[in-house]
Amino acid sequence: MSTNNQFCTFYVDGLFFGVDVLRVQEVIRFQEMTRVPLASPVVSGLINLRGQIVTAIDLRRRLVLTERPADQLPMNVVVRTDDGAVSLLVDDIGDVLEVDESTYERPPETLTGAARQIVRGVYKLKDRLLLIIDTDQTVDLHEKTSAGLTKVA
Amino acid sequence: MSKKIITVDDAATMRKMVAFTLKGAGHEVFEAGDGVEALTVLRQRPVDLVLTDVNMPNMDGLELTRQLRALPAFARTPIILLTTESDPAKKMLGRAAGATGWIVKPFSQEQLLAIVAKVLPA
Amino acid sequence: MAINETLQQELVKDLLLESHEGLDRFDRELLALEQGQTGPDSMNNIFRVIHTLKGTAGCLGLGHIEHTAHVGEDLLSLLRDGKLHSTPEMITTLLALSDALRGMLRTLEATGTDGTSDHSALLAKLVQLQVAPAIAAAPAPVEKPVFGLFDDDEPVVAVLAVAPEVAGAVVMTAPASVQASSDAPTPTTLHAAPPVSASASVEVAGKSSVADNAIRVDISQLDKVMNLVGELVLARNQIVANTTQFDQAALMTAAQRLNIITTELQESVMKTRMQPIGNVWGKFPRIVRDVSHELNKKVRLVMAGQTTELDRTIIEAIKDPLTHIVRNSIDHGIESPAKRLSVGKAEEGLLSLRAYHEGGQVNIEIMDDGGGINLDRVKAKAVAQHLITAEQSARLTEREALNLIFLPGLSTADKITNVSGRGVGMDVVKTNIEKIGGSIDLQSQPGQGTTLKIKIPLTLAIIPALIVTSGGDRYAIPQVSLLELVRLEGTQARKGIEQLYGAAVYRLRGHLLPLAYLNQQFKVKAGVPKNAAQAMDDVINIIVLQADGRPFGLVVDEINDTEEIVVKPLGKQLKGISSFAGATIMGDGRVALILDVVGLAQHANVVTETRDRPVIDTKARAQSDADQRQTLLLFSVGKDRRMAIPLALAARLEEFPVSRVERTGATEVVQYRGQILPLIRVADHVAGRVTPDEPSDILQVVVYAEQGRSYGLVVSQINDIVNESVTIKRASASQGILGSAVVQDRVTDLLDVPGLVRAAEAHASLAA
Repeated sequence: MSTNNQFCTFYVDGLFFGVDVLRVQEVIRFQEMTRVPLASPVVSGLINLRGQIVTAIDLRRRLVLTERPADQLPMNVVVRTDDGAVSLLVDDIGDVLEVDESTYERPPETLTGAARQIVRGVYKLKDRLLLIIDTDQTVDLHEKTSAGLTKVA
Repeated sequence: MSKKIITVDDAATMRKMVAFTLKGAGHEVFEAGDGVEALTVLRQRPVDLVLTDVNMPNMDGLELTRQLRALPAFARTPIILLTTESDPAKKMLGRAAGATGWIVKPFSQEQLLAIVAKVLPA
Repeated sequence: MAINETLQQELVKDLLLESHEGLDRFDRELLALEQGQTGPDSMNNIFRVIHTLKGTAGCLGLGHIEHTAHVGEDLLSLLRDGKLHSTPEMITTLLALSDALRGMLRTLEATGTDGTSDHSALLAKLVQLQVAPAIAAAPAPVEKPVFGLFDDDEPVVAVLAVAPEVAGAVVMTAPASVQASSDAPTPTTLHAAPPVSASASVEVAGKSSVADNAIRVDISQLDKVMNLVGELVLARNQIVANTTQFDQAALMTAAQRLNIITTELQESVMKTRMQPIGNVWGKFPRIVRDVSHELNKKVRLVMAGQTTELDRTIIEAIKDPLTHIVRNSIDHGIESPAKRLSVGKAEEGLLSLRAYHEGGQVNIEIMDDGGGINLDRVKAKAVAQHLITAEQSARLTEREALNLIFLPGLSTADKITNVSGRGVGMDVVKTNIEKIGGSIDLQSQPGQGTTLKIKIPLTLAIIPALIVTSGGDRYAIPQVSLLELVRLEGTQARKGIEQLYGAAVYRLRGHLLPLAYLNQQFKVKAGVPKNAAQAMDDVINIIVLQADGRPFGLVVDEINDTEEIVVKPLGKQLKGISSFAGATIMGDGRVALILDVVGLAQHANVVTETRDRPVIDTKARAQSDADQRQTLLLFSVGKDRRMAIPLALAARLEEFPVSRVERTGATEVVQYRGQILPLIRVADHVAGRVTPDEPSDILQVVVYAEQGRSYGLVVSQINDIVNESVTIKRASASQGILGSAVVQDRVTDLLDVPGLVRAAEAHASLAA
């Protein structure tokens, strides 16, 4: 667990999420994307980030939430991974928050499915919950089966 | 006081380490990969101290020492041989070639600085 | 040690790079020494590698490497000084030393320490080999000074005279104080044998090492790149300035300049990535030695063209395939010395590697003078492993049989040796080479040897590509797999595409070309036609591509242009999609996917697995009797009669369920395209015995048209379409048969279709 308590926050389908600020390369507005046929539906497409080709992952789909309305353009939260930069498509960007470690809690057992793998923990803020997502898990599209084996999604 | 020192070694790692140590002590350091390269550099740019490996391709440290001693500008410049061989016969060859001193690899940074300080009084 | 961590890390990285190169040189020189090919400096070069490694490792506090190298150095110094002479045993031990040191370097790279791997047996062997009569192994002095000045030493009269001036020039003041401080690490002797239990060395396999990831670039090459970048900045500034003022003439000049600079820059940057193929071959002498020793064979390796340069990604990609081929050649190709002598060959086998540039490609030839490939054995193996049927095997040409060794799963090794025959086969070699746009060709003369010829592109980073549009998206198709473009318009477009058992085909100069629709494959909607003239049915763009040596047609909405594209990798989220080879950025800044033609063809099922179809090498055929060739449709009638008709006579190939067959009088008919199609069962109307086959629910029908009337010839099975020169062997006056010929090594009857139709009609009218 990282000891860093600063998170880059954003909104996805009304939920409030955060990623470790040190993992965030940049936040950019909506970019034209090239769709990738045959790819997982989670992959929205490819964007050209100053000559680098970056895969964009739709967090709504990744977290199995409702589809983003067609008239609403997502924002890109570009995160660093071992495999290069990956963009997470979110609805809107929040502030960088420094949170109090004492408000941290592991994700509730009731959390299931994709969210279970991705959400690392929850900070109970005064007025809302901040869900911390694990970037490595988010960009890993191999499905984890109950036996702990991986298979291609 | 800052001195000009050349480190001659075919192992880049070794050169880098020597250079780092000496630069840390405030010296100006040049590098050369073998005797031939060192001679070329030194003909144009005299230095205060030559630190040279013995066993190198193209021209070894002993031959470099001999050739430098033949140049008026290097008649008195201290030349230290960096060697892994501390056997006396080898040392004598170095001495015969005109080297000033020797240091056995591996050495610590302190040891390197000590011998440099010894031949280069501030 | 006072060296800070960052510097230590950097120095370790340098050490890794330097030492891997050194150890490769060490191996090469040792092998040359064993072959008696020594220069005046060879022994010293060998010595120096270990000597340098020992010294540097010691300075970096890597005691394990230092100690191991030190023991090796002792033996090497005896060799260098001529006090010992090398023996094969010594060479083997010294090669083991370089392997052990490499292992430690890998551990160092993976863990940051040189580990505690146990090499006591090796070290003992290295010591044992130092049985120099004159000098016993140098006794380790209890304590030795680490540095000193000659003035401090006991005066040596004989030598002092040599440089009196110099010696006198250095005035030393504190002789005693600089004697080695007693806390200085005493080299080597402190590192006693590590506990045997902690012997497992950490080796990270598969991960590319520093040595693999770093390249050395000529400074002048970098300078050139730097200059070009400077030029590029200038040109950009001009364009920016002139765009605001909109001076068209100046803009034109600047654009031209920009064009020239970019091209040059591209070439220059590519050059920095070029490496001599010798970097891969450097390891082969060692491999050849190890493998031939293991198999008790004698092999001489000859290499030519080591300086031939290739992009490093290509070098990486061919490393393993080449190694596999070299191992294979020794294992399967070159015979044992006894066998060679008995057939009158030199005891020592020859393995030669040659690389050279030719027409923008690099050719690599691997040749051995061994026993060649035993085709009967290959065929028997392929049949035994159910890769092909005995029937297919019987009619394979020599060339086709040779190509069987590229089938997945085929291993001709009778016994599984340690060297080859372990699953990774020539099919993988072929796939890997084709993946990088290369091709592999095999020639073998029984008893004389085998030659493999590999053709590969110079670079992968920038490739010419055809840009197409499908479903509104652009895709890039690497030009290497492109054969031709076909554009069908109007009637052609509406009628040119035919269905063969549910699969779309197009007749390209008499050959049936399987088609794949890009939008269907990618499950995207076809693009909206730009205008009425381009309505879908009116224009069909077929890109004829080659995958796995077979042509297929890719139907796209639009063919745009050819462009040089820069290939960029896809993220791991998309690595599993075999239809894409990467992506590129187009002139407008948008991303376009690059198609992987082989992957796409497999996805679309337009090239079936090699084993499902007879191996046909169209190229080989094309070279023989090009003028007399005929395209034939091959089919069988009954269980065992093979027949053929010129493909031109077959209007269509259709399947009808038996339930659709109706009767008018004695004639069987089906309703077909709004007409009545009379069926003629070929088996009933030809001379000669036909063994009836199992009744089937589906009738295979060749539609034949004559003077505006169509007939359906019912056959048992459609086999193939071949393009061959045909010599009728036996002229025959038999009913319905023109004669017979050997096609695909089998006797095949050539059907007299008009004669057959007349016979059938006569039969029908008689019955009626």
